[in-house]
Amino acid sequence: MNDIHLSFILNGQRVNLVIAPNIMLVDLLRDILGLKGTKVGCREGECGACTVLLNGEPVNSCILPAMKVMDQFVTTIEGITKDHALDPIQQAFIDEGAIQCGFCSPAMILSAKALLEKNPNPTEYQIKESLSGVLCRCTGYKKIIKAVQTASAIRKSLG
Amino acid sequence: MDEEKKKKAKVINREKLDTQQLFQLKTEVGLSVVGQSIPRTDAREKATGKLAYGADYPQEGYLHGKILRSPFPHALIKKINVEKAQKLPGVVAVLTAKDVPGRNSFGVVIPDQPVICGDKVRFVGDAVALVAGETEEISYRALSMIEVEYEPLQPVFDPKEALKPEAPLIHDQGNLLVHHKLRKGDVQKGLAESDVILERTYKVPFVEHAYLEPDVVMAIPKPDGTIRIQGPMQAPFTVRRNVAAVLGIPINKVQVRSIYMGGGFGGKEDAPLDIGCRAAVLAVKTGRPIRLALEREEVTLQTAKRHPHIMEIKIGAKKDGTIVAFEGTIYNEKGAYASLGPLVNIHSVIMMPGPYEIPNCKVDGYLCYTNHPFGGAMRGFGAPQVCFAHESIIDELALELGMNPLEIRRKNAFKLGSMTATSQVLDQSVGLQETIEACAKAFDWNRRYQEAGYLDRERTRRRGVGIGMGFYRTSFGASFDGCGANVYVQEDGSVLLYSGITEIGQGSFTVLTQICAEELGICVEDIRLVEPDTDLVPEAGPTVGSRSTTLMGNAIILAARQVKDSIMEMASEMISVPVERLAAKNRYIWDCEHPENRIHFRDVVSKCWMKGKRLIGQGWWAPPPPSLDPETSQGNPYFVYAYSTQMAEVVVDVETGEVEVTDFVAAFDVGKAINPCAVEGQIEGGITMGLGYALMEEIILKDGYIQNLSFQDFLIPTIKDVPQITPIILEVENKLGPYGAKGMGEMPNIPTAPAIVNAIAHACGGRVRSLPADPEKVWRAIREAGGPPEK
Repeated sequence: MNDIHLSFILNGQRVNLVIAPNIMLVDLLRDILGLKGTKVGCREGECGACTVLLNGEPVNSCILPAMKVMDQFVTTIEGITKDHALDPIQQAFIDEGAIQCGFCSPAMILSAKALLEKNPNPTEYQIKESLSGVLCRCTGYKKIIKAVQTASAIRKSLG
Repeated sequence: MDEEKKKKAKVINREKLDTQQLFQLKTEVGLSVVGQSIPRTDAREKATGKLAYGADYPQEGYLHGKILRSPFPHALIKKINVEKAQKLPGVVAVLTAKDVPGRNSFGVVIPDQPVICGDKVRFVGDAVALVAGETEEISYRALSMIEVEYEPLQPVFDPKEALKPEAPLIHDQGNLLVHHKLRKGDVQKGLAESDVILERTYKVPFVEHAYLEPDVVMAIPKPDGTIRIQGPMQAPFTVRRNVAAVLGIPINKVQVRSIYMGGGFGGKEDAPLDIGCRAAVLAVKTGRPIRLALEREEVTLQTAKRHPHIMEIKIGAKKDGTIVAFEGTIYNEKGAYASLGPLVNIHSVIMMPGPYEIPNCKVDGYLCYTNHPFGGAMRGFGAPQVCFAHESIIDELALELGMNPLEIRRKNAFKLGSMTATSQVLDQSVGLQETIEACAKAFDWNRRYQEAGYLDRERTRRRGVGIGMGFYRTSFGASFDGCGANVYVQEDGSVLLYSGITEIGQGSFTVLTQICAEELGICVEDIRLVEPDTDLVPEAGPTVGSRSTTLMGNAIILAARQVKDSIMEMASEMISVPVERLAAKNRYIWDCEHPENRIHFRDVVSKCWMKGKRLIGQGWWAPPPPSLDPETSQGNPYFVYAYSTQMAEVVVDVETGEVEVTDFVAAFDVGKAINPCAVEGQIEGGITMGLGYALMEEIILKDGYIQNLSFQDFLIPTIKDVPQITPIILEVENKLGPYGAKGMGEMPNIPTAPAIVNAIAHACGGRVRSLPADPEKVWRAIREAGGPPEK
């Protein structure tokens, strides 16, 4: 198979590169672009640790061929910290004790980001629905839900 | 300094304190760091995705190791031909059993698992050959080119079958690895005196830890003949010991670094031995760094699981609910290799009668090899298995006696001075009764117990409530159980803390830093904890057995006090106050009688450094040595226990057997919560894992093959499965713990499953005696009990 040209917008910057047509987005991000914040837990779209945002929607990057993101917007965990300032969601995850081993944290935070951008005042049920694509084996999810609620309140207070 | 001040500053006397006295010292000025829910020290790195896990380490220059596994559960290896694989371009080494330089076996307790099998394979997943190639693809291709001729043998898949004389031998010494016995009182007499005797059998399956981060290890050979092994691992010292033996080199030539882990739950105690030893052999044979990473399916196939138990119980009680006899038999399925089985087995045996004072107990635990994957350590170490059994049968007993399940527990549960099944007298820190009362009150047990019944007019959904209770050790109860710590205060007042306890997500780095800061009277930010590296940190044993906070915490306190001696003496001189009158908190040292007379920690340290005073502290703490009679299991196996009572509310669909857990209250006696937020995190996480054990988790085996290798088929709880959880933290001081703390990481995981299964029985009358209580089993249990209740 011939290599193909890929151009997409990654964390606010256009990236142009040549890739093998069968490479998955997660491997492009981690091994070629060096963005290791996106994790690999199962490579079959079940655990959700590889979640990134595609045009603002959470997707499993381990089962998404990289060529599918041509001219699309991709956001990884590295893309939501602006000038070393944490996103309020990240701060809430830290403050509420929503992080233990941390392996699912980037995926959880990005899923929460996608939710709060669309729905600034989610109910607990909506939070659960939106984060249900990511598994966590450590926390029991309670503090993650609390962190999303706290982040929602902080975002509101920041206007 | 004027003469009068000098007189005042005279040290009156100095007394060497033993450990017990040391921990009885109460600090008069209160705690400033311990007991605070400070955020984890690693939280920012984790929230930003910057923290490097094993898979994130650079891979340039590494060869990729892969394992050829047995396709048979039990077979002889007749011939291996590696020629074709060796010739594949990019393949650097293909190794078989003869290539292992030292001992061709590893194991945490007994080294019975081959690094590379030579003559025989014992489970589907056993290693037959190892490959190192320039890329993962090349290594995988090479695996498919290795030709192995097997002669399949009759396999054994059932622990009871394995004990029969005609059963095929899995290991030469027999299929019974160990038989542990517990004998207290006279169980026959106890049963004879009982008004009611119940006899039941309970079963639990293999389950997977399901940590999200797949196992990975790196082995880096050095020109001087040493080797470095690094990866996510709970037991770097155990890895070191095994790698040294497998390579046939002294322990001091092996350096092991435990890096941050994406979860472990006991599974990363022995999985890193397996891949660590294999990567080490490949590294030594090729002279190149090796990276050996497992895919998710390989993790499930190859690594340890929670042991399945078949548990037969006979329990005898008086009419008033007093339990007088407990007789239990455990058929503990070992699977193919020993791993931690012998230690799990004795723990299952001594924990089986539960947290109840029973005068006559008899338990037999048979640990039996089979040709299944092997059991190892998993959060609770035998206790979740037997807790399911003792909490189920006590509920059945209550029903039989017409008693409220809360009452029968209250009546028999441990209190201060109680005698356990091993005849250990619980002489301190026994908060079980307190957890019962706190939990019952917060849950409103008595009201909700009366209110079970249908929720809808269609009579499909029934609500019920259940209790689970348990206790759990701190430490692993062996004579070699101890922790060392070094505390080095630098000339500017900053501190390096060296500890071999690993960070698996539980928050140990944060909690241990809090203890160090409290003891030195400084802030958490002043301390950097050096990540566990066997070349740098003193022996600490493994991060298991809920031992880290207590054992390492004590070692850190002892280390910190050595440097604090120098610092306080110097401070005493500098502000002319006797040492006895000084207090240290938040970077200041002051005169308790005149708090305005104070000095900064940094300035005192600087002076100490100038004057050559000791700023290096080295602490070692080992629990009181355990005693356990090998024939009767009578004695003191552990020095302290944590306690928990949990209450669950479930809604059961009587037509489909589906169960929803709708509310959960759990109370814990943890001695002292060093970081309450972290303790809550352990509680919520442990309960959620227990919910999975109760309702959905099971490694399904058919003819020795795992049917659910991936997360698609091995289900664990998602965010949608988790109910409201109310954690209640109680603190009944452990006199031998740092600030009164005791272990609690495993405790929350133990009584959850029986609480849920008891609630199911309460809701619909159907008693599930075999985990998981999936819809099919619940549906059947309802029918066996005579169908859905009428009202």
